[in-house]
Amino acid sequence: MSASPSEKDRLIADLRLTLAEAEETLRAIRENEVDALVMRGPVEEEIFNIGGDAESYRAFMEAMEPGALALDNAGRILYANGALTQLIGKPLAQLQGKRLLDVLPSDAGTEISLLLGDAHTARQSREVRFPRDGEGELDLHFLAAAFPLRLGTIAGHAVTFANVTDRVYNEGVEQSEHAARAVIDSANEAVLVCDRNGVITHANAASGIVHEGERVGRVFADIIPLVFRDTTDLMEADDMIAMVIAGTPLRGVEATATNAPKVKDYLVSAAPLRVAGDRISGAVITMVDLSQRKAAEKQQQLLVRELDHRVKNTLAMVASISARTAAKADTVEAFQEIFSGRIQALAATHNLLLQNSWSSLELGEIVQSELAPYVEDAAGNVTIDGLKIAVAPRAAIAFGLVVHELTTNAVKYGALSQEGGHLAVRAVGGGAGKSEPFVIEWREAGGPQVPPLGRKGFGYTVITRSLQYGSGGGAEFDFDPSGLVCRISIPPEDLS
Amino acid sequence: MNPRKLILYVAGQTPKSLAAIANLERICAEHLPGQYEVEVVDLRQNPKLAREHSIVAIPTLVRELPVPIRKLIGDLSDTHKVLVNLSISDGV
Repeated sequence: MSASPSEKDRLIADLRLTLAEAEETLRAIRENEVDALVMRGPVEEEIFNIGGDAESYRAFMEAMEPGALALDNAGRILYANGALTQLIGKPLAQLQGKRLLDVLPSDAGTEISLLLGDAHTARQSREVRFPRDGEGELDLHFLAAAFPLRLGTIAGHAVTFANVTDRVYNEGVEQSEHAARAVIDSANEAVLVCDRNGVITHANAASGIVHEGERVGRVFADIIPLVFRDTTDLMEADDMIAMVIAGTPLRGVEATATNAPKVKDYLVSAAPLRVAGDRISGAVITMVDLSQRKAAEKQQQLLVRELDHRVKNTLAMVASISARTAAKADTVEAFQEIFSGRIQALAATHNLLLQNSWSSLELGEIVQSELAPYVEDAAGNVTIDGLKIAVAPRAAIAFGLVVHELTTNAVKYGALSQEGGHLAVRAVGGGAGKSEPFVIEWREAGGPQVPPLGRKGFGYTVITRSLQYGSGGGAEFDFDPSGLVCRISIPPEDLS
Repeated sequence: MNPRKLILYVAGQTPKSLAAIANLERICAEHLPGQYEVEVVDLRQNPKLAREHSIVAIPTLVRELPVPIRKLIGDLSDTHKVLVNLSISDGV
């Protein structure tokens, strides 16, 4: 075989090129730049993967339930299993070779790049959210885990996506259910929640007032029949629930819960329950115990009657004081002076009683109140002792009038009419066990000698008769030359 | 302009094949827009096609046109090396 010099040159050049190619191929294999080789087989060429069995890891990834993918060290998708291609919504062919960050929603992409940054040497995980655009579609939540991986000749990452959407939403639902339950449970009113069929799904502790037994799972209208006022029996509990579920709320209607154990009267409100969107999924029924309000109304009526009684009594007393005063007064001016003094005495006792809510009053307070216009606190000419005894309003008013008359007399004619006079008001006995009258002594000294009080004067009548309404009550005089002495007895039934 | 053609030989979705495809697309778009007709040949689909350019290692990029033919083995991650190889002996 012979060849021309130019052919030889070309042959040598080809051989050199082939040799250079062979050397380059060996270098590339040695330096891990290739991962498959073409071998000439007996029939045709065959392809052999080198440095890793790609098929086996793919089969393994496909068998995984979570989404899984393999990335090279530049974040490009080498392979993604069926679960993940479904999640991303693109076929594998469109994903391979693409950067994962470019095919994920931006938020998820940011999270994943942080994750890959962390997972250089060890497994890392991070929660990732895939927002959904569709109306009513909930965002998806995944726990993404990444770990370093060597696939054949290249380094990269394996990333898995475990769907935790249900867990995330269940946690959310659980929290809001917790909150709703806490709100219902903390209500003082009976709160019951029904589904669309009128079956009770929630009942707070306070609802035990309308039905003592098991409530959840029972039909509301069966265990809590209601009779609504002013509806002439046209509406019953089941009608109410049907109305509410149809969208019409019911606010503050009085009803009688005929089967309720104790309290029967309630103020009932019911509102449609909307859990998600506009759909009504049931009804929330609130029942407020009206017994307290009824009791308050009753108390009010009692008070009005009591007030009416007192006003009439007072008017009768005023009329009597007026008539008696007029009978004894010589002039209109004298009448005015005495009459207004007596009315003021009455008013002072009323004031004291009002301050004590008309419950009871201490005798000492009454004495001080009547003496106050005439005696200075620091005067030292009055001694009050042992009168910290509370009496009922009836006795207080009568005692007030008695003290007023005695005070007026002492100021005009007795111990308080001049310097050096002294008045002592003190308890002298009785009142033990509330079975005998409590006796108070009014003793004047150091005043001018005065004739006994006229027996027919109104003052005398008031003093001696005012407390005679009860057993042992009344007053008697002892005209000591050194000064007036009066013993006043409070009927035992009015001692508090 | 002279016809220019690149052929990238790959083997299915091996990591290097995928990387080579992505890198070539990027280099062409960034540095050689519109200059080359690019063909990707999957030898796993049709191994016989390896004969035409005597392909041994995968991935391999072949500059078929302009002649002379140039081969570059690897995943084309070294952009500089790729550009040097494609422009050498271009004769333009």
